[in-house]
Amino acid sequence: MFARRFFISFPIFALIYLIQESVVSQFRIFGGGFSLFLVFTLLWSALGTPELGALTGFGAGLLMDLSQTTSGPMGQWTLIMILAGFAISYLGYGDDNFRGNPISLVVIVAIAVPITRLAYLVIGLMFGSELGSTLQVSISLLASALWTIAFVPLLMPFVTRIHSTLFEEKSRG
Amino acid sequence: MRNGGDNRGRLLLISLIVTSLLLITLDLRGVQVLDGVRRGTQTVISPFQSVGAKIFRPVGNFFSDVTQLGRTRGEIEKLKTENEELRQNLINRRNADSELAQLKSVLDLAGAARYRVVGAKVISLGSTSSFTQTISIDAGANDGVRENMTVITGLGLVGVVKISYPNSALVQLASDPAFRVGARVAGSQQIGIVSGQGTSKGVLQLLDNQTTLKVGDVILARGSQNNRPFVPGVPIGEVTAVDNAAGAVTQTADVKLFANFATLSVVAVVVGSPKDDPRDALVPKAPIPTPIPTVTVYATPSESPKP
Repeated sequence: MFARRFFISFPIFALIYLIQESVVSQFRIFGGGFSLFLVFTLLWSALGTPELGALTGFGAGLLMDLSQTTSGPMGQWTLIMILAGFAISYLGYGDDNFRGNPISLVVIVAIAVPITRLAYLVIGLMFGSELGSTLQVSISLLASALWTIAFVPLLMPFVTRIHSTLFEEKSRG
Repeated sequence: MRNGGDNRGRLLLISLIVTSLLLITLDLRGVQVLDGVRRGTQTVISPFQSVGAKIFRPVGNFFSDVTQLGRTRGEIEKLKTENEELRQNLINRRNADSELAQLKSVLDLAGAARYRVVGAKVISLGSTSSFTQTISIDAGANDGVRENMTVITGLGLVGVVKISYPNSALVQLASDPAFRVGARVAGSQQIGIVSGQGTSKGVLQLLDNQTTLKVGDVILARGSQNNRPFVPGVPIGEVTAVDNAAGAVTQTADVKLFANFATLSVVAVVVGSPKDDPRDALVPKAPIPTPIPTVTVYATPSESPKP
């Protein structure tokens, strides 16, 4: 079942990844902007089971590792995204009040995005990456949270609709 | 069933984590396959990125400009300031070039006559409210400049030092109405007195009524005792008009002074001169006319059409 769901959602992720790499990356906005792909993945994971969240994170992390702009070793984003996908879906799993409330989804994704990026940074430091300016890192993390708060409400209707269309109908069928 | 599902979930999670750690290990050990995958992905994506850049970069730049409006404005202000500084530097450079040319010219003249000179910059012009014509220079007694010393430019006589201060000096220009200098005509050696008229022209009055002047004669300083106030041989000007009034005791002439008093910036004060008079050695050389090529065109009538 996991594999089937994984392969069903893969083209959507590939499309979002393509949009991220070819369109979103063209915009240079305050604080380094935001990652549509990261937000989409975390939102998608939050709507599923923890196992599916981990699997979604695995696939998304692999794609992020393949990005030209990734500086870390192959697999670093994969590891982070497995944990992030699992954690965000685990938090709301079985609590319909949580998942049915858009505000809680916005808040949890807005918190998850900077934490995920911070985890990537910390693990990167372990692998010998350079940290750069602490102030710049702080601004970037804060800005990504703010951009996420701004964009998730716009993105959420599409994500929830696609998610329910794909999985609820399939499970019924 | 639930326990079995949980175990399967845990197993999946552990497998995924182990896979990612394996990927990291392989990558850190430099396995080329993973690099190939990354390169292959980039090859696939780059055409889309090119299209995206063409379409969305202007929009992205717009957003970038909006978010960095303050910085952009600051940058414009900075560039404006730099531009102003560069423009000022250019003006200073042109000024320096002009001064350098004048200094070279005056040194050429001084070198030809073997004068010992002290170079000086004009630091102020005389008062416009009075009728005297003077300049102040930035060389004074500390530089060896004394009263009644000749001041020259590359073109010729400028004037004479009237007052010498420790670090500056006041120079009476040759155009001053009170200025008088003993002169002689180059070649014929007729002597006379040139007096300033308040303009770029002076008046030469010959002392001998047996001699005659002609337009184009070059007038030189005759020199004074002990070379003060005037050293001999300094070009003063050129005769532009001769007054042949009947009944005049001596002949007079208008003299166009060589020095351009309107553009004085660098002058030299002659602080020493050789014992021998340079005579006519400093007479400016007449300009060599540039030959103008002429083309003769012969008109050849064309044959009239035959009926």
